[in-house]
Amino acid sequence: MTDEKAKILVIDDDPDFRDAVTAILTSGGYRVVPATGPEDGKAKLLSERPDLILLDIMMDSLFDGYVLCHAVKTAPEFESVRATPIVFVSAVKDIAGARFGFQGGGEGLSEPDDYIDKPVKPAVLLARVQSLLAKK
Amino acid sequence: MDSSRVIPVPLVLVIDDEESMRDSCSQIIAKLGCRVETAEDGAIGLAKIRELKPDAIIVDLKMPGIGGLDVLNEVRLIDPQIVAIVITGYATVDAAVEAMKRGAYDFLPKPFTPDELRLILARALERRRLSIEAETLRREKKLLQDNIITMVSHQLRSPLVAIQQYFEVLLSGIAGELEAKPREMIRKASDRLTSLLELVNDWLQLARIDGGGLVAAFRPVELRPLLDRLIDFLAPLAREHDVTLEWGAPPGSGIAAFGDGASLEQVFTNLLHNGIIYNKKGGRVQVRLGEDSDEVTVEVRDTGIGIAAEHLPLIFDQFYRVHRSEETKAKGSGLGLSIVKKIVDAHHGRVEVSSEPGLGTVFTVRLPKAPREGSSG
Repeated sequence: MTDEKAKILVIDDDPDFRDAVTAILTSGGYRVVPATGPEDGKAKLLSERPDLILLDIMMDSLFDGYVLCHAVKTAPEFESVRATPIVFVSAVKDIAGARFGFQGGGEGLSEPDDYIDKPVKPAVLLARVQSLLAKK
Repeated sequence: MDSSRVIPVPLVLVIDDEESMRDSCSQIIAKLGCRVETAEDGAIGLAKIRELKPDAIIVDLKMPGIGGLDVLNEVRLIDPQIVAIVITGYATVDAAVEAMKRGAYDFLPKPFTPDELRLILARALERRRLSIEAETLRREKKLLQDNIITMVSHQLRSPLVAIQQYFEVLLSGIAGELEAKPREMIRKASDRLTSLLELVNDWLQLARIDGGGLVAAFRPVELRPLLDRLIDFLAPLAREHDVTLEWGAPPGSGIAAFGDGASLEQVFTNLLHNGIIYNKKGGRVQVRLGEDSDEVTVEVRDTGIGIAAEHLPLIFDQFYRVHRSEETKAKGSGLGLSIVKKIVDAHHGRVEVSSEPGLGTVFTVRLPKAPREGSSG
């Protein structure tokens, strides 16, 4: 992962948010693959095989970020990309009005590898991404 | 109650000890296009009501054993949507009043003509249909209301977050360095937007609690790990305000409230956040977890500016602000403590406050304990 730029899949249904985040990641020397939603993200995850996923929770559809995250961590079809770190990026209060709500294992869903508040601070985003990629 | 039972062919149960009465009623009802079942006494009638869940019953008031009035009492418990028509040979006003009191829809004195029965039954079935429809509508409205909150929350917030994200990119210089003046203006715009986002978040939070969606998710919530995480999370904010966070819990673990973890977290976030930002430099915020036989308590004590006695009764009101002066200038949405109160109320808990201006404020949250599990796993 030294000469090759790391590739980051950004799954978010808001085009402007993707645009702004792409600017941040590009400035950090990463390549960005944008995806417009969970379906698109799922396809690009398998075809592009990114090094990391930034995933919006997108509560407004049934196939949301939680479901995709859980599928990547558990479903057979994602076997080959299972280890890809997933970072939830969402306005915290989308979840349940709280910051750690997503860890509610009570739902039985797999947890992401990290979690960042929306809007993201560029420095915070770049630092988290770097540290997750270093762990890989 | 199962609204899918609004079926095209209603089922009517006739409960009467006289065979001729059962037969004639059956014939009349069948001509209305209804299915008919009969029962020759109150006990059999009740058994059939439980088993068949009829849309309507026609019940004789005067029967040996379990009488019509007893049947009416039971029907109300089994399913209040079942409409009941009472028939009797003893057509006294008293009997009619008594039957209506027990939930009968109408009263038919013997002898009656087929048309009289048909008319009353048709009206009764119509009333049942309307009442089921109203119930279904009420439930759908509730569901819609919950969805609207989620939808509005997404649609209202998404654009604000996108704008803020662009500001963040601009301020970080990623898109090119900004000169001091435009930079300052964008910073101000960004600050205002942050306040607006907080207001929207808080308001939506209140709407969600009012929608009643909270209670459904109640389960035991261990408070020590929750507070551990919160203290960690708020440590940078405390450092920024030069405030020390102190946190203590009795030894051992397993102090659990019965409630919704995410909402309770919101309660303590808001209290700690206030304790930090309305504190003085070098001040402290102490968090203490405790329990007695049926309650858990979380105490948040700060060494801040305190709240004057005349403000205390009002601090849980929406948009009420204690600190209005320019120096302490308004922070947050003014909804933080009303969210605390609403969430704690929804948990059947209490939040108490005492304060001494200049010395600090103590908030105490008391919540019902989670029921102990059978084994201590």
